[in-house]
Amino acid sequence: MTGRSEMIRPRRAWAGAALAVAACVCGPRGWAQLPAEPAGAVEQLTQPTPHWVWVNDMAFFAFPDGKAFLVDGDSGKMLGMLSTGYSFTSVLIPKTGAVIYAPEIYFSRGTRGTRTDVVTIYDATRLEPVGEIEIPPKRASLMPMPGAQALTDDDRFLLIYNFTPSQSVTVVDTHSRKFVGEIETAGCALVYPTGPRSFFSICGDGALLETTLTDAGTLARRERTAELIDVLKDPLSEKGVRRGDTWLFASFEGVLHPLRATGAGVEAQPTWPLFTPQELAQHWRTGGLQHLAVHGASGRLFAVVHQGGPGTHKDPGEQVWVYDLASHRRVQTITTRNKLGSIQVSQDSQPLLFGCSIDSNRLDIYDATSGKYLRTVESLGLTPTVLVLP
Amino acid sequence: MTRDLARRVSRRSFLGNVGALLFTTGVPLLPVARGAAPTAARPDAAADPGDPQTCEYWRHCAIDGFLCACCGGSIQSCPPGTEASAITWVGTCHNPADGHDYIVSYNDCCGKSQCGRCLCNRNEGDKPLYMPFKSNDYNWCAGSKVGIAYHCSTARVVGVAK
Amino acid sequence: MKRGALCAAVFAMTCSAIALQSRAAQPAVLTPPVEANYMLNCMGCHLADGSGAAGKVPSVRDSMLILSRSTAGRRYLVQVPGAALSPLSDLELAQVLSWMVRNLSARAVPSDFTDFTAAEVAGYRRSPLVNVRATRAQLLTARP
Repeated sequence: MTGRSEMIRPRRAWAGAALAVAACVCGPRGWAQLPAEPAGAVEQLTQPTPHWVWVNDMAFFAFPDGKAFLVDGDSGKMLGMLSTGYSFTSVLIPKTGAVIYAPEIYFSRGTRGTRTDVVTIYDATRLEPVGEIEIPPKRASLMPMPGAQALTDDDRFLLIYNFTPSQSVTVVDTHSRKFVGEIETAGCALVYPTGPRSFFSICGDGALLETTLTDAGTLARRERTAELIDVLKDPLSEKGVRRGDTWLFASFEGVLHPLRATGAGVEAQPTWPLFTPQELAQHWRTGGLQHLAVHGASGRLFAVVHQGGPGTHKDPGEQVWVYDLASHRRVQTITTRNKLGSIQVSQDSQPLLFGCSIDSNRLDIYDATSGKYLRTVESLGLTPTVLVLP
Repeated sequence: MTRDLARRVSRRSFLGNVGALLFTTGVPLLPVARGAAPTAARPDAAADPGDPQTCEYWRHCAIDGFLCACCGGSIQSCPPGTEASAITWVGTCHNPADGHDYIVSYNDCCGKSQCGRCLCNRNEGDKPLYMPFKSNDYNWCAGSKVGIAYHCSTARVVGVAK
Repeated sequence: MKRGALCAAVFAMTCSAIALQSRAAQPAVLTPPVEANYMLNCMGCHLADGSGAAGKVPSVRDSMLILSRSTAGRRYLVQVPGAALSPLSDLELAQVLSWMVRNLSARAVPSDFTDFTAAEVAGYRRSPLVNVRATRAQLLTARP
C-alpha cells in the first residue's frame, strides 16, 4: 500500500490555521503518518517465565477441535496455541523446554474413517510441528487427567495410557522419535512416573502395578503391590499431584494418601485428613477435574473444595484450601470469584494460582501467597480441562 | 385418583407377568441384535416419571454427556445415523415412582461429532478410572465399531437390583 | 335386607382390601442376584450374550466352556482382572462365573461341568493376572 505524500488542503481559513498549528506541534512534515507494515510477520515465543501456563481444551462440544492455549499469567495475554486433534487430553513438556509433545488423534474424515494416533513434536518457540511419531490407535479417550500420559523422569520416554477397553501403556522413545512398544497393564489404569525408567498404575482392587522399563524402553519388570487403598468404602481419586518422590492423592472423603517411590518400590505413607470431623459433618469435600496442586518449594498443598454429598466428587468449588504438608494443617483459605474445577500453582518464589472450570472458558489468576485475585483471561477455547506448567 | 391407581396397578401387573417370565428363564433381558428398531419409549409415565430431556430425570443419576432424547434419539435409542455402542458401563439409579433401584446401561451413540445439546453430568455411584465398569469418565464409544466419535448418551433400563 | 347389606359391605371391603393389597404389595420382580451381578460388573464389556467385541473384548461364548475343563483354565477365569479385581465376594464371583458358563456358552454345557466354588475362587484370586493376552492365547491353543 502506498502512502499519500501530499496533504489535503482544507478550504476554510480556520482549518488552514489549525493545520498550521498542528504542523508546528507535530513536526516538520505534519501529523504522524503510519508507515507501511510488513506482510507475513509471525511472532515467536521468548523464554518462558515461571508464570506461563498451558490451558488444555478437550473441546467437549467439538471433539475434532482439541486445543492447548499458552497464557502469560502476569500480563493476562494469550501467547499462542496448538491445534491438537480429536478428544485431546494434554501437552507434555520436557524440562529442556525446547520441544512440546502432544499425543493427538485424527480421523481421515474428521469424525469417521481411519483413525491415526500420533505424538506430534512442536518447536517450543515457534509452536510449529517439527516431527510426528505414529503410535497404536488405542490412546484412552477420557476426561483429561494428568495420569493419562506422562514423561519418564529423565524425559526420555513418553508413556501413554491406552483403553480399548483393554488397558495398556504405549511407550515412545523421544530420542529416536519412535514407538517402542505396548505394555499390557490389564486391570490397572493410568501412568504415574516414579523415576527415569519406572512408573505405577492404579488397579481396580486398590493395588498398584509397578512397571520398570529397560534402558531401551522395553518391559523389564511388572509387579503388583498389595492392596494399598480401599476402593469400595472411600476410593482414592485418581487425580494425584507429585512433590519430589511422593505422589499425593485425595480420597472422595478427603483423606490424603501419600504414595512414596523408594528404591524398593512404591510405599503407602501414613494418611491424614484434609477435613476435621466438623468439616466432614458440614459435607466439605474436594471436587473437580484437577482438584489438587502443590507448591514444591514451600510444601503447600492446594485443594479445591465445596460442600456436597456423595457423588459430588467432580463438582467444582468456590474455595481453595491451602495445607502445609509438614504439619498437615490448613494454613489458608482462598475464596474464589468463580467456581473452579482445575487448579495449578506456579513453582517460583512468588507463585500464581491458576484456576479454570470446564463449565466456562476463562482462566482466573490469583496470587497464591496472599490469595488475592489478580486477573481473568477470557475466551480460552470451549472446555478447559487440565492446566500444565511449561 | 382412580385412574392413577388403575394405571399403577396395571403397569405392575405387566411387570409381574412378562417380567417374571423373562427373568426366571435365565434369558438375558437385553435385545442383542445391533441396530434393533427402538421399542415404544416409556409406555407408562407414572412408573417412569420425569422428562428424559432433563438432567434431573431419575435415570441420569450417573450420566456424563449429552442426552440423546434432545438429539433425535430417546432415552433408549440413538439418533439417526449413529451407532449404539454396545460396550459401556452399567450402574444403578433409584426410581422415585416405585422405590426400586434399577440397573441402567449408559450406552453411547457414536459416529458423529458431539450433539452438543442437554449436557448433563451426575456421578452417583461413579468410581475412578481404575474401576472402569463403574466409571463415566471414559469415552465408551471406544468400544463401538465407528470408534471414539462420541455423539450422545442413552440410559437404558436392563434390570432391577433392589 | 340386613344380610344383603352385610354381604355387600363384606364384598366392598374385600374388594377394596384386594385393591389396596395390589397397589401396596405388588411383588417386586427383581433381577436374580447372580444375573444382576453379571450386569453390574461384567456385562458392560462382555455384553448380554457374552460376545464382546472383536479386537477389543474377547467373546466368552466358546472359551469359557473350554477353559473351565482344565485347572489352568479355571484358574485363568478367576485370575483375569475383570474377575479377580471385581468388588464381588468370592462366593458371588464363583456364582457369576458358573452362571456365565451355563448361560452364555454357544454350545450345550456338558453334564460333568462343575460349578466354581468360593474356596476355589479364593485360592486363585490372590494372584491376579497382568499378562492376560498371552496367557489366554496359550491356554486356548494348548487345549486337547
